[in-house]
Amino acid sequence: MNATFDLFARRYCRRLPILSLFAAIGIAVPSGMFVNVQADEHEKKVESWKKSYEEKILPIVEARCVQCHRGDKIEGEFDFGKFPNGQTAADAGDAWERVAKRIRLNEMPPQGSPGLSDEQKGQFHRWVDSRPNQDLCKQLASEETQSWYRGFVMSRRLTQTEYRNAIRDVVGIPLQPDEEPPSDGAGGEGFDTVGDALFTSTIHLESYLAIADRVIEDALPDTQAADDNAKAAIRNRLLIVLPKSLQPESSSSDSEAAAEIIAQFARRAWRRPVTDDEKLRLMQLYEASTGRRRGFLASVREPLKAVLVSPHFLFVVETEPDATGVIRLTPYQIATRLALFIWSSIPDEELLQAADSQVILNDDQIRLQVRRMLADPKSRALGENFGLQWLGLRGFSEVHPDGELFPEYAETLASDLREEAVRFVAHVFQQNRPLTDLVAADYVLVNGRLAQHYQIDLPAESPWQAVSVADGRRGGVVTLGSVLTATSYPRRTSPVLRGRWILEEVLGSTVPAPPPNVPALEENTASTAGLTLRQRLDLHRQKAECASCHDRMDPLGFGLENFDGIGRWRETDNGQPIDNAGKLPSGDSFSGPNELKSVLMKRSGEFQQHFVRKLLGFALGRELNKFDQCIMEACLKKLSENEFKSQILIEEIALSYPFQYRYHKQPTEAPEPPTTSQVLFDRLEQIARKANALKKQADALQESKP
Amino acid sequence: MKVQNLIPQRPSRRRMLRGCGAILGLPWMESAISRTLRAEDKAAESATGVPAGRPPVRSAFIYFPNGVWEKSWTPEKSGRDYELSPTLQPLAEVKDDVLVLTGLDKKHSHGGDGHYAKTANFLTGMPVTKTTGKNISSGGISVDQLMAQHTSQFTPLPSLELGTEPVISGIDSNVGYTRLYGSHVSWQSPTRPVAKEINPRLVYERLFGRRVSDDPARSESYRNLLDFVLEDARQLRPRLGRDDQFKMDEYLDSVRAVEKRIEFSLQQKPRDWQPSVAQAETTPPRPGVPADFREHIAIMLDLMVLAFQTDSTRVASMMFANDVSGRNFSFVEGVSGSHHELSHHENNQAKIAQYERINRWHVEQFAGMMKKLKSIPEGDGTLLDNCMILFGSSISDGNRHDPDNLPVLLGGHGGRTLQSGQHLQSKGNVPLCDLYVSMLDRMGVEVEQFGDSTKRLLDPVG
Repeated sequence: MNATFDLFARRYCRRLPILSLFAAIGIAVPSGMFVNVQADEHEKKVESWKKSYEEKILPIVEARCVQCHRGDKIEGEFDFGKFPNGQTAADAGDAWERVAKRIRLNEMPPQGSPGLSDEQKGQFHRWVDSRPNQDLCKQLASEETQSWYRGFVMSRRLTQTEYRNAIRDVVGIPLQPDEEPPSDGAGGEGFDTVGDALFTSTIHLESYLAIADRVIEDALPDTQAADDNAKAAIRNRLLIVLPKSLQPESSSSDSEAAAEIIAQFARRAWRRPVTDDEKLRLMQLYEASTGRRRGFLASVREPLKAVLVSPHFLFVVETEPDATGVIRLTPYQIATRLALFIWSSIPDEELLQAADSQVILNDDQIRLQVRRMLADPKSRALGENFGLQWLGLRGFSEVHPDGELFPEYAETLASDLREEAVRFVAHVFQQNRPLTDLVAADYVLVNGRLAQHYQIDLPAESPWQAVSVADGRRGGVVTLGSVLTATSYPRRTSPVLRGRWILEEVLGSTVPAPPPNVPALEENTASTAGLTLRQRLDLHRQKAECASCHDRMDPLGFGLENFDGIGRWRETDNGQPIDNAGKLPSGDSFSGPNELKSVLMKRSGEFQQHFVRKLLGFALGRELNKFDQCIMEACLKKLSENEFKSQILIEEIALSYPFQYRYHKQPTEAPEPPTTSQVLFDRLEQIARKANALKKQADALQESKP
Repeated sequence: MKVQNLIPQRPSRRRMLRGCGAILGLPWMESAISRTLRAEDKAAESATGVPAGRPPVRSAFIYFPNGVWEKSWTPEKSGRDYELSPTLQPLAEVKDDVLVLTGLDKKHSHGGDGHYAKTANFLTGMPVTKTTGKNISSGGISVDQLMAQHTSQFTPLPSLELGTEPVISGIDSNVGYTRLYGSHVSWQSPTRPVAKEINPRLVYERLFGRRVSDDPARSESYRNLLDFVLEDARQLRPRLGRDDQFKMDEYLDSVRAVEKRIEFSLQQKPRDWQPSVAQAETTPPRPGVPADFREHIAIMLDLMVLAFQTDSTRVASMMFANDVSGRNFSFVEGVSGSHHELSHHENNQAKIAQYERINRWHVEQFAGMMKKLKSIPEGDGTLLDNCMILFGSSISDGNRHDPDNLPVLLGGHGGRTLQSGQHLQSKGNVPLCDLYVSMLDRMGVEVEQFGDSTKRLLDPVG
C-alpha cells in the first residue's frame, strides 16, 4: 500500500514537493473513498452506453459496415462481426475512437459504397463521445494495475548508438566506422531502446572485447608523442594520478595510483559508485599483470578494458531493491535514464554528482539538468538517434537511387541529406522551437552543397546554417530531402509511399497492407496504356476496396510531386507539367507543398499526439499502454500552455511517473538462477578439456625425452 | 618446468575451482570430467557419420528475399531427365551437382503478414509470434543452429551468420510485427536471433582468430578479462528481475562462446579433420563494407567457401539481403527498378521480365559458388562433394507472398549421399522441414523430427 500512497502523492502533489509526504497521508483515505463512489456511477454509465450501442449503433453497423468488415471476407483489419452486442462493444473501448476518426474524415465508408447519412454520423459520434471516461490516471497505481510496469523496462544492453557514444564520452576516443558492434532492431513504439528487441550474440562480445582493447591501448600508449596535445589530453583525463615511478614529485606508489585511476574510470563507465569488492577484483587484474613484470601503464590498461566489457558498462542495470511494488528509481538510475534519453549516452560528471548528492530527485533539479543537457552539443543525439528512427531514416545509407537517372546522387549528397534530418530535429529541441516547426518550419538547415541541391541561394562552401524560406516549398520534416528520397523508388517518385509516410509518421494513422489478391495497380491493358501514373492511380481509387486507403494516401503524395526522386524541385516530369493538386476525403484540397503543410497544420493535434507518443516510447524503451495515455495528455496540456515549445515536453517526460518509477516484483517471485549449475558444469567441462590437453602435452614431452 | 608453465595463472579460476569442490565434492567432479571426455571421444568418432580421416560434411543455408516468378523457375519435367527452366539456366555447368526441389511448403507461414512471418521461420518452420517487441519468437531453433550445436566441438567457430545489410529498423505497426523478423533467419533458440556479420573484413578476422586468439599475450589478457566479467555477471544476475535475467543469460552465453574459442585455439589438439589449406595462403579483404552489392555478395560467398575449406566452421547461414529489400537492381541488364518493387509485378509482363532477370542473377551467384567449391580438391574428390548448400526464399511468388511451392536448390553432394542432378517435385504441400531432417541426418545430428516435419524427404543415409 505504501507504493499506492506514494503514487497518489506523486500525481497530485508534484507541485508541492515539500508538502508531499504529509499530503500523501492526508488525502490517501478520502481519495480512496472517492474512487469507490465514482466506480458505482461509472458502472451505471457503462450500462447505458452499452444499451445505446445495441439500440442505435448496431443497426448502422449492420447496414453499412459489416458487408466488408466481417469474418473471413474481412477487408482492412477491423472486424465489426466481433461486436454483436453492447458488452463486446464496450470491451473494444478505444477501438471506437479510431472508427470515429475514419468516419469524421469521410474515409469510411469508402467512396463507391453506400455512405452514412448525416443523422447516422451524428448518432455515431454522439455515442462515441458519450463513452464513460475511465480516468486511467487515477488507476495508475492501484494494486491491479501496477503490474503493468512489471518487466516492461528491462535491464537491457546499450544499443549500438548508445555504446558508441558512451565509449566516446568515457574514453575520449571515437569508434572507427569499421569497428562498430552489430546493428539493432526495434520494438515497442518503433525504437531500438526496447530491451525486448535487443539481443546479445557472440559477435557482439567479440566486438566489445576488440574495441575495449583498441581504445584503451590508443588512449594509454606506453610512449606518448610529446607534441600531440589531443592525445595527451585524453591520457591525462584518464590518469588522474601518476605514481612516483612516472612522476618523481608524486607521493603515490604504483598500486595507489592504479587504484585511484581504476576506481575513477569504473565510476564513470558504470555510472555509480564502485563497491570495495569490485575495486579489489579490478586491482587483481592489475596485479596479475604486474606479477608478470609488465609496466605500470600496461598493467593499468587491463582493468580498464575489463570495465568496458563488464555487464555493468554494457547493460543498463536496474537491480531489484529489497522492497517490492512501484518504487522510484535510485538517483544513479535516474541520471542514467536522463543521459540515455537526451544524449543517447551515459551520465557526465555533473549528472553523477547530482546523483551523489541526491539533488537529482528534485523536480526543479531535473528541469535544470534537462535544460543543461539540451544546451550540450551531445543533445544532437535527439536528432541522430530518436529523430532518424522516428522518421524511418535509420537505414538511409541503404537507400540507393538509380545511378543512371541520378548520377549526382553521390555519397556526399547522401550524407548531407542525412545530416540535415539530424540537425533539424536536434535544432527544434536545442533551440526550444515549437513542435509545429517539425511540420511547417519557415526555415531549412542547409550547408552550401545542400543549398545548391535545393536551389537555395548560398555560396557553395557555406557551413551548416538556418536559412529562411519564404515560399513554403521547404521547411518541416515532410520536405526533408532525405524523406523525399527514402519514400521514392530508385527510378521514380511514389505518391503512394509519400502519402503513406505522412499518414503514418506525421499524423500517426495506420494504413493496412493491401488485402491479398487485390492487384496493386491495374495491369497495363489496352485501356490503361498511355495513362500517367496519376491517371492510373485515379482508376485504382475507383474501386471501393482500394479507395478506402488510397483516398487518404495518394492526394498527400500528389502535393509533393514537385520533388523528384532525390528531393530536388521540378516543374515538369518527362516533359509533362507537374500536377501537384490533391483533395482529401475530408474535403480539404490543396496544391503543392506549402498548401499541403497548411492542411497538415489543421491536423496539428494529431501530429502532436503522435509525436508525444513516439518520444515517450523512445524514452521509456517500451510499448505504451493505456495507462500511459494520461502521461501523454498531461504532456499535451503542458505543451499547449507553453506555446508548444519542445523543451517542456522533454522536461515533462523526464518528470513523468513511468520515467522515474519502476515496478519491482516481490522477492518470493524471483526464480532461483537456473543456470548456476550449468555455468559450473560448463566450467568443469572446460577444465576437463584443458586437463586432458595438458596431460597429452605432458605425455608427449615425456615420450620425447631420450 | 615446461609443463608447469602451461598451467594458466588465473586467480578467479582457482577460486572457482575451490568453490566447485566445496559445493559438489570431488567424486562428482571426477565423474563429470570423465563423462565429458567419453562423450567427446564418442562424438568425435561419429560426428560426420563417416570413418575417421574422411572429410566432414558442411552445410550452408543461403536466403534470398522477395521470392521468384514460379513459371520461369519451376522446371517442367521432374526426375533426372528434367530440363533447366529459364531462371535456372545458369546452373547448366553444375546441373549434376544440384537438386532442384519444388512443392515444399511452410504451413506455419500461411497466416501473418506478407513477409516478416515468413522470413524469421525460414529455418525453423515454426509459427512466428506476432509482436512489435514483447515475446519475440521464431517458434523454434533454426536448423543451422541445431547443426552448429553438434559440430561446434570440432571447429574453432560453431557457425557463421552472414548478411549484407544492417538489421531493419523500426516496427511495422500495420501488420503488427517488428521488422527485425525480416533480418534474421538464424535463431539460437526460439527467442534469440543470432546477429549476422555484414563486414567482410570482420568475417575474415573471425575466421582466422585475429579478433580474439591470434597472439598468446592477447589471448591471456582476454581470458583474464572474460573471467572478470563472468564473475560480474554471475553476481549481478540474481539481483535482476526475471526478464532481465534472460538478457543476462545471453551475455553469459556470449562470454562463454568467446572463451571456448580461445580455449580451442590454445588446445592444439589434433583435429579430426586436417584442412587442405593453410590460412596464411589467403589474403584478407579490404576493410569496410563494399559499396558495390555484387562485390559484397561475391566476397561473402568466397569467405564462406574459405571457412569450409579451412574447416573453420561446418555450418553457415547467409542472407543475400533482408526481407522486403528495396535494393536497386538496375545493375542487371534489362532491369530498371528495385527488388521489392519489381517482385510486386502485378502480372505485368514488363515487370515480370525484370523480376525474372533478378531471380536469374541470384541463381548465377549460387552457380558461381558451386563452381568454386567444385574447383577445390578435398580428400579423393572436391569440397563440393562434402557440402550441402541450400539456396532458397521464404515465399514463392513475390506478388502473392505465398509460402508454398518455395524455390529451393540444394547444391553439393552431402558426403556423396545425395542423388543430385534431379528435379524432385513434391506434391501436396510437403513441409520444407522434411528436407531439413534429411540434411540433419547427413550432418550426423540424430533427430526424429524437426520443426513441422512429418517424414524424411530424402532417403536416410547408409
